[in-house]
Amino acid sequence: MAAIEVQGLTKAYGDTLANDGLEFSIERGEIFGYLGPNGAGKSTTIRQLMGFQAPTEGTARIFGHDVRNDRELRQAKARIGFLPGEPAFTPSVTGAEFLDYQAALKGDARRDELLELFTPPLDRQIREYSTGNKQMLGIVQAFMHDPDLLIMDEPTSGLDPLKQEAFHRFLRDERDRGKTIFFSSHILGEVRRVCDRVGIIRDGRLVTVEHVDDLLARGGKEVRVHTADPLTEANFDVDGVVGFESEGRQAQFTFTGDYNDLFLALADHRLVDVEIDEPPIEEVFMHFYGGDE
Amino acid sequence: MLDTTRYEARQRVRGTLALAILLGLFALLIISIFPTIAESSADIDAFIESLPESFREGFGAETYTTIEGFVAAELYQFVWVLLLGLYMAYTGGGLLADDIESGRLYLVLAAPVARKRIAFEKFLSLGLPIVVLNLSMPLFVFGGSLAVDYPLDPYYLLVVHVLSIPYLVLCGAIGLALSVVLDRGDAAQRGAIAVVFLLFLLDSVTLGTDVEWLGAISPTRYLDPTEILLHETIELVDPLLLFVVAVVLVLVSLVHFQHRDL
Repeated sequence: MAAIEVQGLTKAYGDTLANDGLEFSIERGEIFGYLGPNGAGKSTTIRQLMGFQAPTEGTARIFGHDVRNDRELRQAKARIGFLPGEPAFTPSVTGAEFLDYQAALKGDARRDELLELFTPPLDRQIREYSTGNKQMLGIVQAFMHDPDLLIMDEPTSGLDPLKQEAFHRFLRDERDRGKTIFFSSHILGEVRRVCDRVGIIRDGRLVTVEHVDDLLARGGKEVRVHTADPLTEANFDVDGVVGFESEGRQAQFTFTGDYNDLFLALADHRLVDVEIDEPPIEEVFMHFYGGDE
Repeated sequence: MLDTTRYEARQRVRGTLALAILLGLFALLIISIFPTIAESSADIDAFIESLPESFREGFGAETYTTIEGFVAAELYQFVWVLLLGLYMAYTGGGLLADDIESGRLYLVLAAPVARKRIAFEKFLSLGLPIVVLNLSMPLFVFGGSLAVDYPLDPYYLLVVHVLSIPYLVLCGAIGLALSVVLDRGDAAQRGAIAVVFLLFLLDSVTLGTDVEWLGAISPTRYLDPTEILLHETIELVDPLLLFVVAVVLVLVSLVHFQHRDL
């Protein structure tokens, strides 16, 4: 049985389809990245999985429990750790009081261990917390009852780069211990570093579900070169160059081919500067999933 | 058991104590001026008699020359029925809508607990101010009446408090109802205040008119401290009715909350 099975999940707000017939499943023991630009419908899916919103059509099952049925979903929730996007807390309570309350609701077998890794100032009122501290408190509560499945909406937003890296390492360790992790992100790099598979959603529709390696091979890299002499598409003929644009002696394109061919071709020109970067996720969509609507 | 009630009630402790002290001091202040009125030669009751009926009835002002009539009108009709009613409605309005708006509720509802249970436990946390204030206030009032040497009958004083509980619960329930229907916390809180206040007005302005029956939808019509304190009449049907309406309103709110999108 899959950890999550999404079956024709559709959510309409008036005339807008925030989720349109989504269909995918998440196997136990994998890290599944749910990737899409802001406003694509990621949070809507997550809210339906958690039973906060009822699907207009279709449904999803978590460990076989139908999310439309509150009683069934409650059984599944005992095994779910949840982190909402931009988690919000009662400002007047301290971090410790909040965790005590959460512990009373669902247990806290791993609280101490987690607090060694993520370190929100527990004695202070949450109103004094920075975004990063709130995020860490949210992460601790999500994992502290040792759930089998984690559902997280943009879990690294607000964390500083070191904590992000620590969190990614933590996720991989959890996966190796058999946990299933489903999280949304709009950052391709993050998904690339930690996920096994990724589902891409855009305008409420699922564009593709694939292994991260395959996606990256197709997603390519964004290359910016600054040459001594102007580079034109005509005098730079390499397989795998997509969307070539140039302005004076600056040129930029997405590259999906073999790096060796790229550097061979670049060797014919005198380079002032080169940048090779992850493409923004929007670019991946534009080049491979039907352009900008 | 009742973890949410405990968590929520703990956050009400400071506000409740502050309110208990404030209302207590106000009660002492009001009672302390009673001897001057009682011993004054001016005919205050004649003045009250000359006021429009809706005003007199609205504030339960019947006589100011006995401590019972004075306390019932100045303290109970005004502070208890109106102000505390508004406070309970306001607090009830803040039970859920604010948490929904801010997204705080997601972290609570992610736990394996039924939604309606969370909502009900939050509602129960209103019990803290209701219990504390109904314990502290009679102490202040009775103590004050002893101090000015016009002692009230403690039995009827307690009865006023006990019988005001269904009314206060109903005001909280009105707040809860708005809190599950509206998406914005401040709208639910202000809305609840407006509803209770308008019902109070409706009750008072229709008294003695042809449309007196209209005021019958106001909870304030079913609680009359003057009747209890001054006339020493205890009427149990009205408070029971308030309680039943409160229960129905809470149940309807819980069902709606269970099924709505968040």
